[in-house]
Amino acid sequence: MSNGTFAVLGLYTDAQKIVDAANQIRPRKLGRLEAYTPYPVHGLDRAVGLPPSPLGKLVMGMGLLGTALALLFEWWTSAVDYPLITGGKALFSWQAFVPVMFEVTVLFATFTAGLAMLFAFNKLPFFGHPVLHSKAIKGITRDKLALSIESADATFDVEAARQALLDNGAESVEVVPVPAWDKPLSLVGLLRTIAAITAACIVAGAGLYGAEKMIPVVPPMLHMHNQPKLNAFRSSTFFADGRGMRPAVAGTVARGHLPPAFATPDEAGLMLANPLPLTQKSAERGRKVFNDHCAVCHGSVGDGVSMLSRAYGGKPANLLSNEMRGRSDGQIYGVIMLGKNAMPSYAPDLDESDRWAAVHYVRVLQRAQNAKDEDLR
Amino acid sequence: MKSAAAELPAALQPMELIEGKVTPASLDDQVLQFPDRMPPRAWYVGLAITLTALGIGGFCMAWTLYYGIGTWGNNRPVAWGFGIINFVFWVGIGHAGTLISAILFLFRAKWRNAIARFAEAMTIFAVMCAGIFPVMHTGRPWFAYWLFPYPNERGIWVNFRSPLVWDVFAVSTYFSVSLVFWYLGLVPDFASMRDRTPEGIRKRIYTVLSLGWRGAASHWVHYDKAYLLLAGLATGLVISVHSVVSFDFATSLVPGWHMTIFPPYFVAGAIFAGFAMVVIVLTVVRKTMNLSNLITDNHLDTMNKLILAMSCIMGYAYFMEGGTAWYSANPYIQHTFKNYVSGFYGWAGITTVTCNIIIPQLFWFRRLRRSIPAMIFVAIAVTVGMWMERFVIIIISLHQDYLPSSWHKYVPTKIDFGILLGSFGLFFTLVLLFARLMPVIATSEMKAFLPGAQAKHGGDHE
Repeated sequence: MSNGTFAVLGLYTDAQKIVDAANQIRPRKLGRLEAYTPYPVHGLDRAVGLPPSPLGKLVMGMGLLGTALALLFEWWTSAVDYPLITGGKALFSWQAFVPVMFEVTVLFATFTAGLAMLFAFNKLPFFGHPVLHSKAIKGITRDKLALSIESADATFDVEAARQALLDNGAESVEVVPVPAWDKPLSLVGLLRTIAAITAACIVAGAGLYGAEKMIPVVPPMLHMHNQPKLNAFRSSTFFADGRGMRPAVAGTVARGHLPPAFATPDEAGLMLANPLPLTQKSAERGRKVFNDHCAVCHGSVGDGVSMLSRAYGGKPANLLSNEMRGRSDGQIYGVIMLGKNAMPSYAPDLDESDRWAAVHYVRVLQRAQNAKDEDLR
Repeated sequence: MKSAAAELPAALQPMELIEGKVTPASLDDQVLQFPDRMPPRAWYVGLAITLTALGIGGFCMAWTLYYGIGTWGNNRPVAWGFGIINFVFWVGIGHAGTLISAILFLFRAKWRNAIARFAEAMTIFAVMCAGIFPVMHTGRPWFAYWLFPYPNERGIWVNFRSPLVWDVFAVSTYFSVSLVFWYLGLVPDFASMRDRTPEGIRKRIYTVLSLGWRGAASHWVHYDKAYLLLAGLATGLVISVHSVVSFDFATSLVPGWHMTIFPPYFVAGAIFAGFAMVVIVLTVVRKTMNLSNLITDNHLDTMNKLILAMSCIMGYAYFMEGGTAWYSANPYIQHTFKNYVSGFYGWAGITTVTCNIIIPQLFWFRRLRRSIPAMIFVAIAVTVGMWMERFVIIIISLHQDYLPSSWHKYVPTKIDFGILLGSFGLFFTLVLLFARLMPVIATSEMKAFLPGAQAKHGGDHE
C-alpha cells in the first residue's frame, strides 16, 4: 500500500515565530494548515485560518433544553402523573422547581461543553493520527510548537512545503507519512474488542455464579425481623410447660366466655333465647362472623355447598333446610358452643355476642333463601 | 503596558508567581516526574496511616450496614447527627476547588494556575467523602436509588418541592461537573505523560486516558471555549450547591435554622473551610514534592488573605444570627441562640467562634501569612472550627426545639467517630494516590502563562 505523505511539520520554540510563519504561509495555499502545540497559543488558531468555535451556541441551546425538560418533567410528575399536595402549595408551584431546573441546566450544558468538545468536535478518542506516530510528538506535548502543512489532495508538494517552513524560521522539519493503519477502527480490531468484552462477561458471570454457589449465604440485616418476642404458637423455654401462648389463669373466666351450663344443643335450646336484639348492626356483625368462621364449610349462603365440601367431599349441614329452620336459636347456639359431628367447638374463637350475632345471621340467610311473597312487596 | 506597571507602587506590583527560571521543558520534568519514580518512604508511611483510618471507617460502615443506624447516636429529636454534620462539612471542603477552578479563572487570577489541579482533585475527593454520609444515613443504602426520580412500579415520584431532593440534584450535578472539568484539564497533561513515558503498560494507560490528544490548533480552539464555558457553569455551582444544602435547614421551621442568611453564610463557610484544607494539603505537598518554586509563598499568602476575608464574612454571619435572634423577639430562637454559647453544648459554640473568627485574625500580619507553621495552625483551627460550626447548627438547634417534653441530648457513638475518621482516611488516601499517579500541576495551563509563551502581536490583540 502506497502511503504517501500526510504532512510536513516545522518545529518552533518561539510563539511569535510560529504565528508569523502561519500568517506568511497561509495565503500560499500549499495545503491544509494546522498547528500542534503543548498549550493553547493565542492567535495561532486564527493564523492557521480556523473559525471561532461554535461550541458556545450549542452549549447555550443544550442548557436551555435542560431547563425546559426539567420544568416539563417536574410539572408532569408533580401535577399530572402523581399529584402531590405539600404544605398547601399549588400542584404546579414552579418556584420550588427552580433549584432542580438550574442543576439540570448546568448538567446538560456541562456535558455538552465537555463531551461534545472532546468527542464530536475534536473526534477523540483517536489513536491512529499520523502526528501521534511522528518523531516530533514528544516535543509537541512538551515544549515544541509545530506548524503543519497537510496534504489536502494529490497536488500536495512536499518539497515546497518543506521549503516554505524552513524559509519561515522553522528550526527543523519532519515529513510525516500516512501510516499503514490510517483507519481508526479495523474489522479485526473491532472483532477482537467484541470478543474480549464477551469473554470478560462470560468470565465475570461464571465467577459470580460460582461465588454465589460456593460462598455460604449469610442472611444479612434481619435485625428488624428477629426480635426477642414470641410469635403465636411458638414454644418458649421461659415457662415450665414450654408453651409460648399462655392458658388462662386457673379459676378465672374471660369476658364473654362463660362456660356453658348445658351438655347438649337440645338442652341449650330449652334453656336459652337470643339475648341480642336483632338490629342492622348485629346482623352485619353476624355476617362478618359467619363469613369468617362458618362460610368456609357451610357456604356463604349457608346451603352447605362450599369450597371445602367441594374439595374434600364432606357434608356440612345445609342451614337452609326445613329441619334447620325448625331449630330454635338456643339449639344453634348450642352447636356453635359444643360442635357437632365433624364440626369443632367455636367457643374459644367467638365470644358470646359474636355467637348470638352469627345465629341472627343464620336466620337472615334462612329468611332470604325462603322468602315469602310479602317479603318481596 | 510595561511602563504603566512600573509606575505602580510596590504593593500593587503584580506578584511573582514563579521562582527562578522555569521553561516548558523544565516544568514537565519537574511536575510529571513523580509517576516515573518509586515514592519515598514517607509516602508509604502516610499511606499506611490513611489506609488504617479508612479501614476503621470501612469496618464501622460495615457494622452500620449490618446492624442498622441504631448503632449511631441519632435519635429523636436529633435525627440528623454526625451523618449530616459530616456531609455538610465535606461538601463545603470541595467548594475551594471549584472557586479556584471557576471563579478565579473568570477573574483571570493567574495565581490559581499552579494550585487549580490539586484543588479540583480535592473537590472531587471531598464530594466522594460527603456522599457516603447521606447514603448511609438513609438506613438502607441499597435503596439509595430511590432518591432519584425514575419510573417505578409503585407509580410515585420524588417530591420536587423538597429541599432534600434539590440536594440530591445539586450534589450529584456538582460531582459530575467537577469530574468533567477536572478530566478536561487532565487530558493535555495525560498526553504529555504519554509522550515522556517509555513503551509499556503505563504508556498504554496514559494513551487511553489522553484519548489520543495531539494538541492540534483546531482542537485547542474548541478546548479553550469549552474550558471557559465550564468555568462559567461551575461558577453558578459554587454559589448554588451550598445554598441548596443550606435550604435543607433554612426551609424548615426549627429555631436557629429558619433564617434567610443561611445560603450566603453557608457558601462563605464552605469556601472558608475549603481554602483551609487546600492550605493544609499544599504546604505539605510543596515541601515533600519540592514544588516551592511553582507554589510560592505568594500563592499561600493570597490564599491566606482569602481565608481572612471569609473569616470576616463568617464573623458577620454569626453576629447577624445573634441579631436575628434578638430582633425577632421570638423566645424559641433566643433560647436556641443562648444554647449555642452556653449550656450543655456551649463549648461547641465557643470553639466555633474562637477557631473561625478569632484565630484567623492572625492573618492580618504579613509575616504570619507567609509562615508555614502559622498557616498550618490557622488552617487546622479553621477546619476544626468549621466542623464544630455544623455541629452547633445541627445538634444544638435540634436537641431543644419548641416542645420541652421532647428535648433530649445527643451523644455520638464510637461508630459515628469511626466513620468520620474513615472519611478523612478516604480523602487523604485519594490525595496521596493522586499526588503520585497524576500530574499535580496543570502543566499545559502553566506553560501558556510562562514568560514568552504567547505571541506579542498577530494574536488576539491585533
